[in-house]
Amino acid sequence: MENRGLQALESGVIQKDLCTSCGACLSLCPYLQSWQGRLVKLDNCDLAEGRCFANCPRTQVNLETIYQEVFGQRYLNIELGLFKQVKMTRASSPGIRKKSQTSGIVSALMEFALREEFIHGAVLTHRTAEHLPRGRVIRRPDEILSCAGSSYVAGPTLQALNQGPWEDTERIGVVGTPCQVLAMRKMGVSPLKKTSLMDRVTLIVGLFCTWALTYEPFMKYLKNRVNGARIRKLDITPPPERLLKVITDDDHTWNVPLDEIRPFIRTTCGICLDMTSELSDLSVGTVEGIQGWNTVITRSNLGEEILSRAEAAGIVESQPLPEENLKHLKEASLLKKQRALLTLKERGELEDGYIILSHELIGRILSKAKEAGS
Amino acid sequence: MSVLSQESPGKKTLFMGNEAIARGAIEAGVQVCAAYPGNPSSEIIGSLSQVAGELGLYVEWSVNEKVALEVAAAASFAGLRGLTAMKQNGLNVASDFLFNLNLTGSKGGLVVVVCDDPSALSSTNEEDSRPYAKMCDLPLLEPSTVQEAKEMTRWAFDLSEELGLPCLIRSVTRLSHARGNAELGRLPKNRPTPYFDTSCPIVPQPVMVTHKGLHEKIKICQDRFEESAFNFYLGTEKPELLVVTCGVGWMYTLEALADMGVENRAGILKLGTTWPLPESFLTQHLKKASRILFIEEVDPFLENNIKEFCAERAAELGAKIFLGKASGNLPDIGEINPDIVTRAIQQVFEVPYEPRSSQYVQEAAEAVSLFAPIRELGFCAGCPHRATYWSLKNALIMDGRDGIVLGDIGCYTIGVRPAGFEQVKTCHAMGSGAGLANGFGQLERFGLNQPVLTVCGDSTFYHAAIPALVNARYNRSNFLMLILDNSATAMTGFQPHPGTGRTAMGLEAPVVDIEALCKALGVRVQVKDPFDVQDTTETLYDLLQDREGIKVLILKQECALVRVKRLKVLYKVHVDQERCIGQACGCNRRCTRIFKCPGLAWDPVTGKAQIDEAICTGCGVCADICPQSAILKETI
Repeated sequence: MENRGLQALESGVIQKDLCTSCGACLSLCPYLQSWQGRLVKLDNCDLAEGRCFANCPRTQVNLETIYQEVFGQRYLNIELGLFKQVKMTRASSPGIRKKSQTSGIVSALMEFALREEFIHGAVLTHRTAEHLPRGRVIRRPDEILSCAGSSYVAGPTLQALNQGPWEDTERIGVVGTPCQVLAMRKMGVSPLKKTSLMDRVTLIVGLFCTWALTYEPFMKYLKNRVNGARIRKLDITPPPERLLKVITDDDHTWNVPLDEIRPFIRTTCGICLDMTSELSDLSVGTVEGIQGWNTVITRSNLGEEILSRAEAAGIVESQPLPEENLKHLKEASLLKKQRALLTLKERGELEDGYIILSHELIGRILSKAKEAGS
Repeated sequence: MSVLSQESPGKKTLFMGNEAIARGAIEAGVQVCAAYPGNPSSEIIGSLSQVAGELGLYVEWSVNEKVALEVAAAASFAGLRGLTAMKQNGLNVASDFLFNLNLTGSKGGLVVVVCDDPSALSSTNEEDSRPYAKMCDLPLLEPSTVQEAKEMTRWAFDLSEELGLPCLIRSVTRLSHARGNAELGRLPKNRPTPYFDTSCPIVPQPVMVTHKGLHEKIKICQDRFEESAFNFYLGTEKPELLVVTCGVGWMYTLEALADMGVENRAGILKLGTTWPLPESFLTQHLKKASRILFIEEVDPFLENNIKEFCAERAAELGAKIFLGKASGNLPDIGEINPDIVTRAIQQVFEVPYEPRSSQYVQEAAEAVSLFAPIRELGFCAGCPHRATYWSLKNALIMDGRDGIVLGDIGCYTIGVRPAGFEQVKTCHAMGSGAGLANGFGQLERFGLNQPVLTVCGDSTFYHAAIPALVNARYNRSNFLMLILDNSATAMTGFQPHPGTGRTAMGLEAPVVDIEALCKALGVRVQVKDPFDVQDTTETLYDLLQDREGIKVLILKQECALVRVKRLKVLYKVHVDQERCIGQACGCNRRCTRIFKCPGLAWDPVTGKAQIDEAICTGCGVCADICPQSAILKETI
């Protein structure tokens, strides 16, 4: 039988530099660890099947099948995936907005979900003083803001989900990137799941993502770039600026052109088809050209319900997303899909790579993207 | 009462070969004995240390073989009799001194016993030490039996004193560790008082004069050997084959000839004094046959020297057919045994004789496999080295730069093998890990990106690593040295060393503090407990990130066997059978498949791990390794 355990994960993902550092394989066994943002294999495991392999967002998954499993529907909307509404939103609280990356919408929604007991615990991404991301379990609404912000670096958030520990009756909400969302959906349908952990993950908030950086070389570069000063915050400005703004402890802002940091983009991001976390209950991203607001896409009933109740409660403010922005969003999302498919084709992995798509779907994405691009 | 100190002349007593050597030295009136332990020589000084107090001897474990030889030589220079013993590698260490000592000569009887380890049963190399005797023109004796081991040692002191030269004795594992009867001689009554005559400096200069003098002394030695009872011939006047043998070859030859029933066809020329050659004695016997078979262990030492001699005396001795290692009658590596000797003689006589079935080895291997599991060379249960290599493995993986671990000689050499997670990548001489690290640590300038590490045991540190560390500091090399301080010379049998606070004679000694010594060199030093694998791993990782200069991490934890001998068990350990998930995803037998301490056992019936209480030494490390926290340790 073909190996579907750590051996296969190593040869098919780790050695090919396709690890997304999502954390779905961590804290399941003693053989894998995340160290300085890198997945390290400490020892060999000879099991024929393992959760590390099954959970990995870069081991084989049939997109259409998993769509059926999650939403009970076919994968038809090739631009943004299934959605109910797309809005422009922000947190009502200026306090939350100030501490957050963009508009504070994720913090506000997760705080609301905890307070209203949609969930009892949230798995969020915390960053160390050295900006190394790692998962953190939050149970008190007032702890949410400790995880606000982003360092644009991939981190093993889902390790915290695996690690828990969780009470049997707890409902869990997770905020993650598209690869982390995909990993969770795979965990949910895996025949190897040992506990009902994923049955208790009731809310998945997905983030928009075009790529993530590899921690060690990126931070090393950045440290040199800012002459060794202590980095407080990182912020990427949307086009046309395309800058990474690095704010250091001495309140100095360093403008680093994005092209300088592109070499640190993870290889695996090049084969990712998902910009908008299409398998989440609700996904959140920036709005190009309009500062201080986020795009929110609601996808499931629960996602829709939380947003509307948060709006009703005055926790978040919403506006319709301007048509032009929606058009851009769809184009960008499609372009990511197209780029990924072409990369997979170049790698000879279009047919037998990690993602299985019908020829029809591949054809539609490639031709539609071409149309949008023109 | 020890067989070494019994005063019963004429009594036949059972000795181990090494004890017989020690007894011979005692009967000869030895007063100073020094050595660095090394198999198969360790029991010589080990047994002497047991009777040192009773017999009024001075016995020490020295830090290395060169110092040991110098200690024994000092006794000789002051008119006393001195003995040193070492394994074959030890003579390499001591040889620098030896190659001056031959020129200066000695006064009181000075005997250097070298126990070779053919087949490298407990060595890193296979080396025949006998060519040293030829190289530095010193007398060489090779005992064949336990009785001879005792007698030759006693005589070697007289010979040494008469010639004014140290005398070498070569033993091998199968003599040193064999047991046999030897007849006791008298214990000495009077012992000289040491005095060094300062009017006669002992220096090799003028070298041309002392070198010439050495050649004259060895000529006198040759004369003595002509008369030696340790050389004799056994056989008819016109044998079809002359077997020339020495050492353990003598007994094997006797056995082989008797087994084949060809005693009357072959003569045996048994030599006990193998350098310089007793030329007249040889000439007399080499005439007896034209076919000569050499039976000796490891190198063709006698074979080549006698061939050379026969060439010189060709006119007198005539043409000979030489059989031995060069002809392929005997293997040119490894130990010999009666089977090998039998086959060699059988080839000559073409007698149809099988010492044992040609299928024997295969059949024996198959039979053994039915009862005994395959066993890797491993660390003992609870060995701190396993924990050290575990942490080292993990730290190096986390570091991700493919660090190079340079090792050398000690129990920790097993770091090369799966038991040490195959972390160690080189092994040569004592202290060579640190020496090689000096060199590797200079290669970054040429683009070497791999971190450089070396592992070194405490005894090896004192033996040969200190100069390498001084060199590293001085020349600004860059590496991490792990001193695996288990407070024991464990591999050779727990002899005390400068870190143990005890001498060979059981007296209290000041502890030479490794940490203070390293700190005095001005290098970064940390001390950790290897049983705390988390802390050790993190410390190792941090030290690996320090890219400048020499870092020393002392991993201090007593050897498990020493600890158990003191009945000191740290924890009582057991496996919670409910929590253990065995081979399932999430563990897959991490304890018995990866960590593999022999104190852990896998029960294939229940599919759970267990503790083998008979051998667990209670270090508790496995409790920290278990991902399920199913291994529980309770403080005793």
